[in-house]
Amino acid sequence: MDNVSFVDHLRLKFPHEKSLLFKDLSLSFHKGEKVLLLGPSGCGKSTLLQVLSGLIPKAIEVPIKHEKIQIPEAWGFVFQDPDSQFCMPYVDEEIAFVLENLQVQRDEMIEKIQELLNTVGLQIDNIHTPIQSLSGGMKQRLAIASVLALNPEVLFLDEPTALLDEQGTAQIWDTIKNISEHKTVIIVEHKVDQILDFIDRVIVFTPDGKILADGDVSYVFSNYQEELDHYGIWYPGVWDSYLMRNKLNKHYKKDGNKHSLRLKNFKGFRNKEVMIAVEDAEIYPGEWISVIGKNGSGKSTLLLSLMQLLRTTGTYTIHNQCIHKIEDLQDKAYFVFQNPEYQFITNTVYDEITYAHQIKKADQQAIRNNADEILSIFGLKDKIKHHPYQLSHGQKRRLSVATAFVQSPKLLLLDEPTFGQDSKNTFKLLEMLENQRKTGTIIIMVTHDQQVIKHFGTRVWEVQGGKVIKDWKNNQRSKEDKNAYSFSQ
Amino acid sequence: MHTAFHSKENWLHKVNPSFKLICITLLFLFVLTIHNLNFMIMFTIAIALLFILFTGQSLKRILLFLLPFMLIFLSTALSMIFFGKGETTLFKWGLVHVTEESLFRGIHIGFRALSFALMGLTFALTTRPVLLFYSLMQQLKLPPKYAYSFMAAIRLIPIMIEEFQTIRYARKVRGLQSTKGMNNILKLSISIPIPLLSQSIRRAFRIAVAMEAKRFDSSVKRTFYYKMRISPYDFIFLFYFILLIGLAYFIAFNHPLIPVTDVRY
Repeated sequence: MDNVSFVDHLRLKFPHEKSLLFKDLSLSFHKGEKVLLLGPSGCGKSTLLQVLSGLIPKAIEVPIKHEKIQIPEAWGFVFQDPDSQFCMPYVDEEIAFVLENLQVQRDEMIEKIQELLNTVGLQIDNIHTPIQSLSGGMKQRLAIASVLALNPEVLFLDEPTALLDEQGTAQIWDTIKNISEHKTVIIVEHKVDQILDFIDRVIVFTPDGKILADGDVSYVFSNYQEELDHYGIWYPGVWDSYLMRNKLNKHYKKDGNKHSLRLKNFKGFRNKEVMIAVEDAEIYPGEWISVIGKNGSGKSTLLLSLMQLLRTTGTYTIHNQCIHKIEDLQDKAYFVFQNPEYQFITNTVYDEITYAHQIKKADQQAIRNNADEILSIFGLKDKIKHHPYQLSHGQKRRLSVATAFVQSPKLLLLDEPTFGQDSKNTFKLLEMLENQRKTGTIIIMVTHDQQVIKHFGTRVWEVQGGKVIKDWKNNQRSKEDKNAYSFSQ
Repeated sequence: MHTAFHSKENWLHKVNPSFKLICITLLFLFVLTIHNLNFMIMFTIAIALLFILFTGQSLKRILLFLLPFMLIFLSTALSMIFFGKGETTLFKWGLVHVTEESLFRGIHIGFRALSFALMGLTFALTTRPVLLFYSLMQQLKLPPKYAYSFMAAIRLIPIMIEEFQTIRYARKVRGLQSTKGMNNILKLSISIPIPLLSQSIRRAFRIAVAMEAKRFDSSVKRTFYYKMRISPYDFIFLFYFILLIGLAYFIAFNHPLIPVTDVRY
């Protein structure tokens, strides 16, 4: 068979790194092949895609060396972040931008734009729609549409669903399956469940950029499970393997029936408009509530309201103390945002951890001991002097949760903390939250991950149209609502 | 800017953006040569008419826009009125020294600032940035490299505003805002731009790579989705100014409101 793309003896080194990322890597891809690249974060999968497409060194200047390389004649590249791959404000203008690059005549453009949008199943009434008003899944389909305008024979997909919810992910893969007949598709992806039936070949990389395994799906997943676990790759049986190793005990001994958080007729406002409403809820110590619901249904607004970052009305008490403003929540509640960088305010990991105590001017020795303990729990002890921004994605996330634990809050609010994390980091994080929960902390967490809800949550709230419409204990759900999610307990 | 304020489309929106830009720039320069107070007032009225009648904004919004304009007028005018040089004293109190000359000059400068603000806003409200850059590329041969960078940057602004809000919330949760004192205020004002900029720089870099991945190449000739051309609306625009400036000139010199012909001192 013909190779559409190959590279021979690739050597690549990032200027500020000590060692080579790739040392004499050789790889080739057949026409029409669907290939999945797997590996721990930082092993260079995305970089490899950029080399194969010629973006390195043409658009991104990184010194590389190779004996031979074949860059496909027509290729398309879909990136991870839906918000940073468009340069125009409207849907039609964005696709037109690609058509302009290809020097398509103006009078053919509208028709072509319609056609491309239909191909990816993006039905919008008016093609002149602001991109900002689309959901993440729609944005990614627009990205695919604009790439298809290039009529590519090879598609490079760099974690196109990493920042999407389950629904968006399904839409993207359906679209890609539809359009990729006769095309070569090379995919980097962490969440592989939905594409296994589509993939012909899997290549696994080691942390130092060497090929560990190269073969078909069943071969790789049955022979390399241990390595995949170790690298934190989300392969299909990862939860089963985790649950085999760890026994989860979901129960917390309630002391009596005393609820510690009470909401009644609670409403959160944005510009005088009610954005979220909770009629009546009692929450007991040690409960882990998963908040689910569609994009834009009000999940994050609920958390912001509970943290008193939005204006609220109604009754809201913690341990019988009324909460009216954010100052009432100090030492009681903590909110972990989706992007950890937003919450870093100091210049070193150590200062970050001790910040809360420093502003209270607590005893220095006690502060140090407390910080040491937390940093070693979170595996950040050797990073004490680092700037928070220099940490890896997973470490940043852990640090931002660690800052929450310093104050051992009664209520911990988290907005999709496991988003885009590899399996290793996710499990580590969930275990820490679980330990905190066992001490009686209430955890309220927005998440899309069914496995997390099933194995760690104790209670589920479903939000729809700005209201908490359902509230059930985790083991009751399957009886109540059979056609939604099934919780086999 | 125009995308944020939906409005009715008027002939003013259909004027070629490059042509509009050139005309407004020339008018800016022209205003600097006006030293006759009567003419200055009449000229401002002509611009204000254009702003009120043809930007397609609702009356409520126009009144809202006029508020900061009053502030601009008062702040520029008052400083000249109170502290400007002059011989015929009208009023004196401490440092404040109002003279006939400084009074007229102050009013003149106030109107000048007002007409600048009105022209700028009229332009911003009736011009879509995307069309401006398409027109600059087509009529004024601006290299596409710059035009598309600007358009991508404009797209980033609403994303940044949203991000700014989130960062403020995130900081509040850390207890930054509950502490007082100069030191903390300083810390806060430094600490917000850093994550905001670091995100934006990364995003800008990624957009640039994505643009190249979509085969953007500034050395190749390109076609244009929007064809910008000179139309009769441009002549309406030009005639509006010729007519009204002419009229303003006529009224100012034949029926002056104020008996001052030159405010220079």
